[in-house]
Amino acid sequence: MDKSLWLLLLACAVGTFLLRALPLIWMRRHLLRRSDNNGAATMPVWLTVLAPTMIAAMFGVSLVPAQPAVSSWLATLLGGLCTVLVWRRTRSLGWPVCAGVAVYGVVVVLLKMIG
Amino acid sequence: MSSVDAAKSSAWQQGARDALPLLGGYIPVAISFGLIAVQSGFSALESVLISALIYAGASQFLFIAMVASGAPLWLVLVMTLLINARHVVYGPNIAPYLSNSRWWPLLMHGSTDQIFALAHTRLPQLAEKDRMGWYISAALIAWLSWIAGTALGALAGAEITARWPLLGEVMPFALPALFLVLLAPRFTSVQWTFTMLATIAAALVLKLMGMTNAAIPLAAICGVSLFYLLQARLKAEGKIHG
Repeated sequence: MDKSLWLLLLACAVGTFLLRALPLIWMRRHLLRRSDNNGAATMPVWLTVLAPTMIAAMFGVSLVPAQPAVSSWLATLLGGLCTVLVWRRTRSLGWPVCAGVAVYGVVVVLLKMIG
Repeated sequence: MSSVDAAKSSAWQQGARDALPLLGGYIPVAISFGLIAVQSGFSALESVLISALIYAGASQFLFIAMVASGAPLWLVLVMTLLINARHVVYGPNIAPYLSNSRWWPLLMHGSTDQIFALAHTRLPQLAEKDRMGWYISAALIAWLSWIAGTALGALAGAEITARWPLLGEVMPFALPALFLVLLAPRFTSVQWTFTMLATIAAALVLKLMGMTNAAIPLAAICGVSLFYLLQARLKAEGKIHG
């Protein structure tokens, strides 16, 4: 990479870092001001709604397989179903993910063997 | 080991345990990134530095594609920041759970989509003294796995994908599975259930339409709008107050 590309990389890195850090600093000041003024240290409601919807949107995007085909969609469906079932039983984080990936993998392999 | 040390190490261990499912998604994608970066003319060291410093998957792929195609540098910068703009809502949402330590803004470098989703669920469940240990542990594992995956992809990506093609196909399912586990407890009311389902459907359709980068913010905005519409309707019907 030449000098201009290194500068570009640094600018992208610093810009991305500021997008991550500055809103946190702003919110911490906002919460401090609210508590200094004897108000409840609460966040704007729209922001508390936006967080779970962002996670739901990430889930929706991540559901689309890299190579969409009937077999990958079926594996996604069964893997997702297994994830939910194990979560309902264990209420944990790791086991449902492991079980979901295992079922997804088994379905992919089986479908490849059949087809 | 004193009880303080034990609590500290358990927060770190908990963070590491929680971040483990991320590896299934991060490493295969990072291997692809390392491989494509080298094929686009970047050296292995440069590819690793891009991963370590920018540390945002979609924008990194765009960065190398635009640079390789000779796009104007200012446009590469603008597009990178636009794609990463969704991060602006992550910090404020976890701010109420963080202490006033001056390290927190610096630690935000480790805040990815998945680390945010994990932190948003886990931080409220942890004691205040354990939160920084948990976050550093989880974020560090994710960051290092992304860097290691990139290095692996840059140095031996072609060989790995040729030898174990199924690995790259199956392991990334860890990410939707993780999001599903993080979302499952949030289906707590009719209003939230409709909001979540509509957001997921919108994101899925937008992604299928090829709007990969816009899908997350657009679907989330759809979800928030629906949440407020449902709230107004439920208020009008007298089913909720306030």
